[in-house]
Amino acid sequence: MAECCPNPEPSTRAPLIEAIGLSVHAAGRPILRDVSLAVHRSQVFGLIGPSGAGKTTLLRSLNRLNDLIPGLRVSGEVTLHGASIYASGTDPNALRARVGMLFQQPVVFPTSIEENVLFGAKRLRHLPRSERPALTEHALREAALWDEVKDRLRTPASALSVGQQQRLCLARVLAVRPEVILMDEPTSALDPRSTQAIEELILRLKAVHTIVIVTHNVAQARRITDWIACVCVRDGAGEVVESACCDAVLGDPQCREVLDYLAQVPA
Amino acid sequence: MRKLTDVGVAIVAGCCALISVGLLVGLVAVIAARGAPALSWSFFTGQIRLVGAAGGIFWNLVGTLILLVTACAACTPLAVGIALLERVWLTGERRRSWLRTALYAMNGLPSVLFGLFGFILFVQWLGWGKSWLAGGLVLALSMLPTVTLALIERLRAIPARYVEAAAAAGLNRAQIVWAVLLPQARGGLITGTLLGLARAAGETAPIMFTATIFAGATFPTAIRDSPVLSLPYHIFILAQDSFDPAVGTRLWGAALVLLGLVFSLSLLALPGRLKQHEEAHG
Amino acid sequence: MTRALSWFLSLLALGALGLMLGIFTWQSGPVWQAEGIGYLTGGRWFFRQHQFGALPMIYGSVVVSLVALFLAAPIGLGAAVFTAEYLPPRARMPVKTLIELLAGIPSVVYGLLGILLLRDWVYERFARFDPLSGDTLLTAGVLLAVMILPTIVTLGDDALRAVPAAQRRAARALGLLRAESILHVVLPQARRGLGAALLLATGRALGETVAVFLVVGRQDNNLPSPWYSLRPLLESGQMLTTKLGGAETHIAWSDPVHWAAIVGLGLILLALTGALALFGAAFGRRSDA
Repeated sequence: MAECCPNPEPSTRAPLIEAIGLSVHAAGRPILRDVSLAVHRSQVFGLIGPSGAGKTTLLRSLNRLNDLIPGLRVSGEVTLHGASIYASGTDPNALRARVGMLFQQPVVFPTSIEENVLFGAKRLRHLPRSERPALTEHALREAALWDEVKDRLRTPASALSVGQQQRLCLARVLAVRPEVILMDEPTSALDPRSTQAIEELILRLKAVHTIVIVTHNVAQARRITDWIACVCVRDGAGEVVESACCDAVLGDPQCREVLDYLAQVPA
Repeated sequence: MRKLTDVGVAIVAGCCALISVGLLVGLVAVIAARGAPALSWSFFTGQIRLVGAAGGIFWNLVGTLILLVTACAACTPLAVGIALLERVWLTGERRRSWLRTALYAMNGLPSVLFGLFGFILFVQWLGWGKSWLAGGLVLALSMLPTVTLALIERLRAIPARYVEAAAAAGLNRAQIVWAVLLPQARGGLITGTLLGLARAAGETAPIMFTATIFAGATFPTAIRDSPVLSLPYHIFILAQDSFDPAVGTRLWGAALVLLGLVFSLSLLALPGRLKQHEEAHG
Repeated sequence: MTRALSWFLSLLALGALGLMLGIFTWQSGPVWQAEGIGYLTGGRWFFRQHQFGALPMIYGSVVVSLVALFLAAPIGLGAAVFTAEYLPPRARMPVKTLIELLAGIPSVVYGLLGILLLRDWVYERFARFDPLSGDTLLTAGVLLAVMILPTIVTLGDDALRAVPAAQRRAARALGLLRAESILHVVLPQARRGLGAALLLATGRALGETVAVFLVVGRQDNNLPSPWYSLRPLLESGQMLTTKLGGAETHIAWSDPVHWAAIVGLGLILLALTGALALFGAAFGRRSDA
């Protein structure tokens, strides 16, 4: 750990999510090798690195979404609150309710805005009709979308702009009340104004949720992340070559790969 | 409760798949079991005797072959013509769409209607009587949508850069057709034709009005009044009073041979379809 | 030159199609003149007395197709869900190929199997309803169900796969179970394509001739009384296609009205199957627009 990095708060010293020696193989070919990182509560943890290094695979290993891809083999350990999520007997579906995900391309379901927001929430547990409007409003407010859609909750979600759709997807995830939100390049498909809106959202959300975000945009990383892990390809597989607080990595990178990467990417 | 639904849906879907596949595989097994004892060299090379109770299906196979070859020869130029029209010569998506719609509609028409049409046109109006040519032409019509649609798909899949390169080299549309499109689409034409033939080989309705009789015909020597024997019709007639045990095994043998013919044609088309699938999704 | 050739060949082919339509319409003229709308609604067909009512055959075709659809649709759609959602990718191609191969079994072979396996089974199973033989509309319906099953599975599978993988991923990422993503995300979005699959399968069922010919009994004038009675299912009946495939078609040529009646049946069949094929195509294509 670099000298300048602040220690996490004593009360939250135990990491919320931890990867220990995580390796992922696909059809014999290694994708990730021996990845170890620790995400603490209320942190915005950034994953940066060149395309194809395995950042998305790493992210998806944290909520076991990789289980859906046949042929992927995961070894090593990932823990949530100290308990391994890959242990036999753990329920991946319940895990995904606690560790939500936002994708690069917003995926709205072809129903109304309200239906979208409640899609997961009303099926994961019994949600009485009386509670639904309140939950919808709360989630949409948290996602900074309420004022724009409050008069048209029953209209199709597909009519929204891309930036609004992404915030709707975020509201949908928030309605399920996850502890952690994983974000896979959430703003790369959006215009600058929507990007800014989401970045502000993330900074507000981190008080209540923990966020792990993959991003290509170094300036964005500088703006919103607390801690950064760099994933680069070494010997044919992705590895975490450096993991330190944001200022340390971006200001004074230790690894040659990170230096190369930062030199290429316009800051 | 949710877990119950999850397991339940999986089980129900699995059972349905098992029933579907098992049923059909079982039926093929029944045919194979009952028909295999009849298969022998003399079965394939002998002709029918004793109204199907003895002898073989040689002339039936010959007849079916004649009908299929004729159908193929008639269908191919028509299919190529229509496919080229749709892909190359027609301007405007609406007209192309109309053409494709006509093909889809034609694809849904029962083969018995083509048989009726052939009966009116060839057997009666043109006075051909029962004729192998009439049967072949009617089969060609019934195969046409299958082959044409397959060919259109194949043409659509040709990468645009080949066409663009040819156009940049100065070739006009007709030259592009012969130089680029047709050679590239050859595989699709073969595949589509094989699939169409597989369907046509098993058809009874189109040929029972127009071309085939039960016994007495060998190799046709003219167009008029020159029927042929055929495998499906043979089975059809004998099936209608299938109580003579001697006929029984031979009947199943004929059915097995027909099944083998149809499956072989379909399987021959398989490599082409796999390749097309890979190119599209690879 | 190539262009002219293409146009010529296309017009030749489409002209044949048009000729067929034209001939059927024209040649069925006399029976429309003789019977008027009674041709469609009349329940009696006695060709010697020049009485031509097509209703029993329309009824036979429709009811047999409905029985087939009723039996095959749930199983076929269930199997399609299995192949589209549960089958690992490497197993998909072999299983799909197998089902398509099985879809190619010729109808005359199905007819043979129907005679062997289905006739006696129906006769014994429903013995308490006192059927006269095993050749009934129900037998034809069950046989047809087996015949259209592979079609429903293949087309249904295509319709389900057309739903983007991103939708399934988003549903699972929320914590939904696989069955929930299938029931609440995939099936609703595949509705159009699945409907088209069923329409096309029904069209196939309506047009089937030879297989049902062998097991339906070919008994004319079998109409239910009262109209909602299911009794005709256990009796021999007649369908549009089985009448066309029968002996009457060969002997009717000499009598203009009789021939017109036969061709008229073909016209009705053409209208029904053509409409189903068109609806099916339109329905299905809008789902992938």
